[in-house]
Amino acid sequence: MMDFFTEWWSYGFMRNAFVAVLIITPLFGLLGTMIVNKKMAFFSDALGHSALTGIAIGVVLGVSDTSLSMVIFAIAFALLLNKISSKSTASTDTIISVFSSCSIAIGLAILSKGGNFSKYSSLLVGDILSITFREIVYLILIFAATLVFWFVAFNKLNAVSLHRTLAKSRGIHVKLIENIFAVFIALIVMLSIKWVGILIINALLILPAASSRNLAENMREYHFFSILFSVFSGIIGLIISYFTNVATGPMIVIVASVIYFATYFYGKRSA
Amino acid sequence: MRHKYRFTAVLLVGILLVSILLTNLYVKTEETGDADKLRVVTSFYPMYIAALNVIGDQSGVELENLSEPQTGCLHDYQMTPADMRLLSSADVFIVNGGGIESFLSDVAETYPELTILNASDQVELLPESEQEHDHDHEADSDEEHSHEAEADDEHPDDTDSDAHTHTHSDENAHAWMSIPDYRIQVQTITDGLIKADPTHADVYQKNATAYDEKLAALEKEAEEVKAYTEGRDLVIFHEAYDYVAEDYGMHVIYTLNLDEERQVSAGEVADVVSEIKEHGITTVFAEELYGSDMGSTIERETDAKVCYLDTMVRGEYEADSYIKAMENNIRMIREAFAP
Repeated sequence: MMDFFTEWWSYGFMRNAFVAVLIITPLFGLLGTMIVNKKMAFFSDALGHSALTGIAIGVVLGVSDTSLSMVIFAIAFALLLNKISSKSTASTDTIISVFSSCSIAIGLAILSKGGNFSKYSSLLVGDILSITFREIVYLILIFAATLVFWFVAFNKLNAVSLHRTLAKSRGIHVKLIENIFAVFIALIVMLSIKWVGILIINALLILPAASSRNLAENMREYHFFSILFSVFSGIIGLIISYFTNVATGPMIVIVASVIYFATYFYGKRSA
Repeated sequence: MRHKYRFTAVLLVGILLVSILLTNLYVKTEETGDADKLRVVTSFYPMYIAALNVIGDQSGVELENLSEPQTGCLHDYQMTPADMRLLSSADVFIVNGGGIESFLSDVAETYPELTILNASDQVELLPESEQEHDHDHEADSDEEHSHEAEADDEHPDDTDSDAHTHTHSDENAHAWMSIPDYRIQVQTITDGLIKADPTHADVYQKNATAYDEKLAALEKEAEEVKAYTEGRDLVIFHEAYDYVAEDYGMHVIYTLNLDEERQVSAGEVADVVSEIKEHGITTVFAEELYGSDMGSTIERETDAKVCYLDTMVRGEYEADSYIKAMENNIRMIREAFAP
């Protein structure tokens, strides 16, 4: 039974993946709480889809490191979405949907030119072997930055999510806070999309926080359960995927879904 | 809601135990390797069949295939953690080469001590086909070459030198589709295995010779069909058939590369139809799995017949499967072209 925890440790790529999971899943749990509160699930989904466009633009411009174009595009995309959805009169989910479909269509159109899309199909389901030492360094940096942001701005962010106008009247820079938050989501999604996969990255942001909401009664518990569920499903999903030969991202999401349904029924029963 | 911490603990421990149990059950069903044995891993189906024929049922040698028998071509293959594990215990890794195993550089980097045996080492690979007119025709008319088209085929670089510059990775790697090239591959695999495992050298040599005799008979069979096919024009829906065309002395007028994840645009369909009509093509080679939709469109729109040849990238793990599939292909080509 101990093999379950030790055998995979001897492989470099698994150690990389494990460290990455350990860094990124608490962030998913943390940001997820606010994404669920602010009802931004659709927003982060659209952001994930924009990765495809970012890579496509990188390919067109001949950038050697398409991760760079992907991150830059995602940040621009997030800021643009924020700006337009706060201005326009049409409902937000329609605007996000338009942006999401448009960006994925552009990405697919460019990447499938000449029948080459198979080269990029690993982006859809994720490839655990793509985690390199350099990416782990990036993850550590973003981890530290997110923690700082959270401690400094959480109360303000929370106020904005509860009541925008009230927060504004209390002297909070609503737009600035929202933009910074969107940029953080963009960064974290883009840094993990290569091994989690576009199709399911949103599930990792939403599921732990949603499960936590079924149980938690205050902000502290909400954060605690969300991070706990996120880290737990990340590690278990990674190890199971190693032994059963399935892609890692989907396995993590399956574990997270099981937790969600369990907490959902528990919450319903005791409510 | 008072017991939620207890509930959470029970839930997480429960998931943990169930997953340990299930993965243990799953892993138990997979055979675990023996350390004393020579472990040979092949990258995909045709290589597995070739190695299977060379190794035979020699004890002390374990042959495994990296991908599933139904995986097909490896163009977009993703290595899974289990693949990395399999390779970490392997002694020899037999690959087709020519860029089909796109993950090969990762493997070489991770396991520097693993012997990678490139079966196409001695094979002259054809250049990757463009989605347009065949090079040979242009080369024949543009250049003052006294070579026949066949001679050009042997020196693909000559024909490309003027209009197209191909880099090394732009090779058409489906060499196993040509019987002579496949024989070279089997020989390369045999030599490599003898080098890696000299104690069984005579067994490998004997098995390889026996297999080569069968393949030689197959090649002769194909030669007989060549009388009907020599010089005929052809449209193919997979670049693997470039090798078939070479074997049978046919000219490929148009290549539409249909495979996994390929979306065809309407313009390409129109191109193919007009090419077929313009050149009076009678036969199209296509793969059943990815080409049949396109094939039936072509049969509706034009007078050409579509011939569904096996690309031999998926099937059962049987030693004779290559020969059987090839015999089937030869029969279909004969039916398509024989008067």
